[in-house]
Amino acid sequence: MRRRPGIGGLQTAAAARDQYRLLGENVAKLRTDLMKEQLATFRAQLEDFARKHKNDIRKNPAFRSQFHEMCAKVGVDPLASNKGFWAELLGIGDFYYEIGVQIVDICLATRPHNGGLINLQELCNLLRQRRKSDREAVSEDDCLRAISKLKVLGSGFEVISVGKKKLVRSVPTELNKDHNEILELAQAQGFVTVDEVEKQLVWTSGRAIDALDTLLEDGLAMIDDGHRDGKRRYWFPCVVHLSQYEFSLTYVET
Amino acid sequence: MQKLGDYKLPQFFNYPPYFTLQPVRDTREKQVQLWKEMIVDYCRTQKIFVIGLEDDFPLFSNPVIQRFLSHEAREVFLSALVSDGRAEWLDKGHRKCLILWHRIQDWAEIVLQFVKDNGLEDSVMTVEEIRSGIESRGTELHGVDRTILMRALKLLENKGKLAIFKGTSADDEGVKFSV
Repeated sequence: MRRRPGIGGLQTAAAARDQYRLLGENVAKLRTDLMKEQLATFRAQLEDFARKHKNDIRKNPAFRSQFHEMCAKVGVDPLASNKGFWAELLGIGDFYYEIGVQIVDICLATRPHNGGLINLQELCNLLRQRRKSDREAVSEDDCLRAISKLKVLGSGFEVISVGKKKLVRSVPTELNKDHNEILELAQAQGFVTVDEVEKQLVWTSGRAIDALDTLLEDGLAMIDDGHRDGKRRYWFPCVVHLSQYEFSLTYVET
Repeated sequence: MQKLGDYKLPQFFNYPPYFTLQPVRDTREKQVQLWKEMIVDYCRTQKIFVIGLEDDFPLFSNPVIQRFLSHEAREVFLSALVSDGRAEWLDKGHRKCLILWHRIQDWAEIVLQFVKDNGLEDSVMTVEEIRSGIESRGTELHGVDRTILMRALKLLENKGKLAIFKGTSADDEGVKFSV
């Protein structure tokens, strides 16, 4: 098409642009349609899979976890609603709801002891103890999923990482970086002293005492003045030191 | 679980900070609660009626974790029991504490049941017989603290269920039941 100067030329150029645009839109639409079709296929296959392996999903935590990952990749959330296809097919909406309620219960019961911060491992153990009679096993992954559902309800539950461990927070108390570092330090023996904090973290005495006092006030730490060396120890119940101090908290009601 | 004799110790007993009085109110409340329950429970299973604060009461220390309760802590926990009506100080100096793992009213009920079980409705018995006689064997009354028993009996006397009177020997009293 030969470019012609003048108004006619402009009109032609505009028409050409329009045509290209239409073409572009068509291509885009084609692509979208194709993708939608692919996704629909994915979903159908996923539903099929879920139907076939319903029992495995229910009974096997590892399998269940992988299933969730698959769903996530395809943009399906089996837990999105308690009604609907997924909930009915798998009945796992209830499963996580149940776990969620039990987790809230356990956190409330142990709060006077640990200040509202509990080790994920410990939480799972307590959960398993409670569900001893149930046929369905519970994994840490299940706990995390149940907790993320709780978060959606705005219940103030959160999972935080301290060092290599995961802690579940059930109170609004925010932990700042200093607190986090102390908790991490405490993981070695279950407690810290002011001296240790100063030395290991290279802090001033004031900074160490400030942080420890806040943790104490928040109920996350307990003091221990009974050691013969006379040094005050700050123990952290949420940081379970796997030794003779490991709790199974027999006063948690079942 | 660690045991003291045949008593299963709760796990908090092995956690060192519980042997130090906690300054934070909520934590302290939890601590006092745990200690109160354990003390009453232990006394009930071991049939201990009196705790002396200066004594080597087994719950006051845990050699495994090398911790022991300060005098102040002991007093705090026992005072809490007193406030609950589950204990009484036997002296103004708070050195000896009577533990009521059954309340006095409960002991009174036990005496009444004992009377009924043994057909003693119109009988006479000495106080000593009630707590150490043949009939008492196998019951909770066997070996019960005399102070506690007297209090229970006085309660029943006020209700008209019995009458206490001085016996033949200088320090033994008798009871006439009229249940």
